[in-house]
Amino acid sequence: MANQVSKLAYVDSKLGVSLPGQQTTRVIYDSVNAVAGQQFYEFFTNFAGKTEFQTNLTTNKLDSAESMVIKSVQIIMNSAVSNLSDHLNLNITVGNQVVLKDFDPSFNASSRGLSFDRLHSGYNGDTGKNLEVRLLTDIVIPPQVNFKATLQVSNALVALNDDITIVLKGYGRIFSAGNSF
Amino acid sequence: MSAQDKMIHVANRLGLSSLKDMQGSTRMVYDSITTAALTHTFFKGASQRAFPLTNVGANGNQFQVDEALLVEKIAFFVPSAADGIAYGGLNGVGVKFDLVIGNKTVIKDATVEFGGEQAFWNDGTVGSSVLDLEGVGILIPPQVEYYVVAKGYNTFSREAFSTRLGCYLFGTGALLNFNTTI
Repeated sequence: MANQVSKLAYVDSKLGVSLPGQQTTRVIYDSVNAVAGQQFYEFFTNFAGKTEFQTNLTTNKLDSAESMVIKSVQIIMNSAVSNLSDHLNLNITVGNQVVLKDFDPSFNASSRGLSFDRLHSGYNGDTGKNLEVRLLTDIVIPPQVNFKATLQVSNALVALNDDITIVLKGYGRIFSAGNSF
Repeated sequence: MSAQDKMIHVANRLGLSSLKDMQGSTRMVYDSITTAALTHTFFKGASQRAFPLTNVGANGNQFQVDEALLVEKIAFFVPSAADGIAYGGLNGVGVKFDLVIGNKTVIKDATVEFGGEQAFWNDGTVGSSVLDLEGVGILIPPQVEYYVVAKGYNTFSREAFSTRLGCYLFGTGALLNFNTTI
């Protein structure tokens, strides 16, 4: 199986991205402010009026010559009444391709003995409002390709102005000219 | 052998030569039955149930063309109410189950003993309700029906136990990718 470095280089080269770039660890995130009872959320599609702590992107694509491999997905809920412990439905789309389909990450929320792996067993310190899932297959976001995540929550307890954040973490490449301008 | 290697090997043996070109992913399917019973059959008939009771959708208990799941973990959970929204771990309940793919039983009379993997996996302070499959895992190929037959029992007294129950299958997956213009 290809490792993350060779997989990213392979996909980039197939797409004609030849600049070397600076290898790095990449974290991207987007936060959505909910309305009461909202059960369907879309991330990485609307950046208007968000602070640097709500999102670290300004558009739903990575810059030219920048790309990343998604290794894990973290979801954070800021709510007094709701949490991530009930069934969820997460989809991630890169370009026109669904790369994570109808995935229920809620099993990694809180300590119930149901987590997908031993290293990332449920964290009970915040009563199911914070979970992370380590993916088994590296997913590449190439440069200049739109991506988004959608999340459906099964409980309708979310209140007005609650926040839900999705964080995508992994290995990446950021622009480095390698020359003086 | 890696999970991806096994998927491609089995697919080639089944004549599915295009599976290697599909989108690799992490995949999980779950199904839950919220009427308490001694025996449950998961995934069969799941297309009649909707989220949050299951996530299999209209395809029911088979994956569509060129989609597959290499099952690496199996877990059972207990829905809290009939709506299936909230759920918990087995909490003292054991589950004896068979996994059937096509006409073949691929896991026979196995049990998820509540807390059984706690010796090396402590999920917070709660016993595990997850069974790690030994080896690389078991592949559910595209367009082949699969289902799980499960019976609940009391882990300690070893008596049959009527309960609501749910089941998830987790592992490496493949998603359809046309790789060409249609």
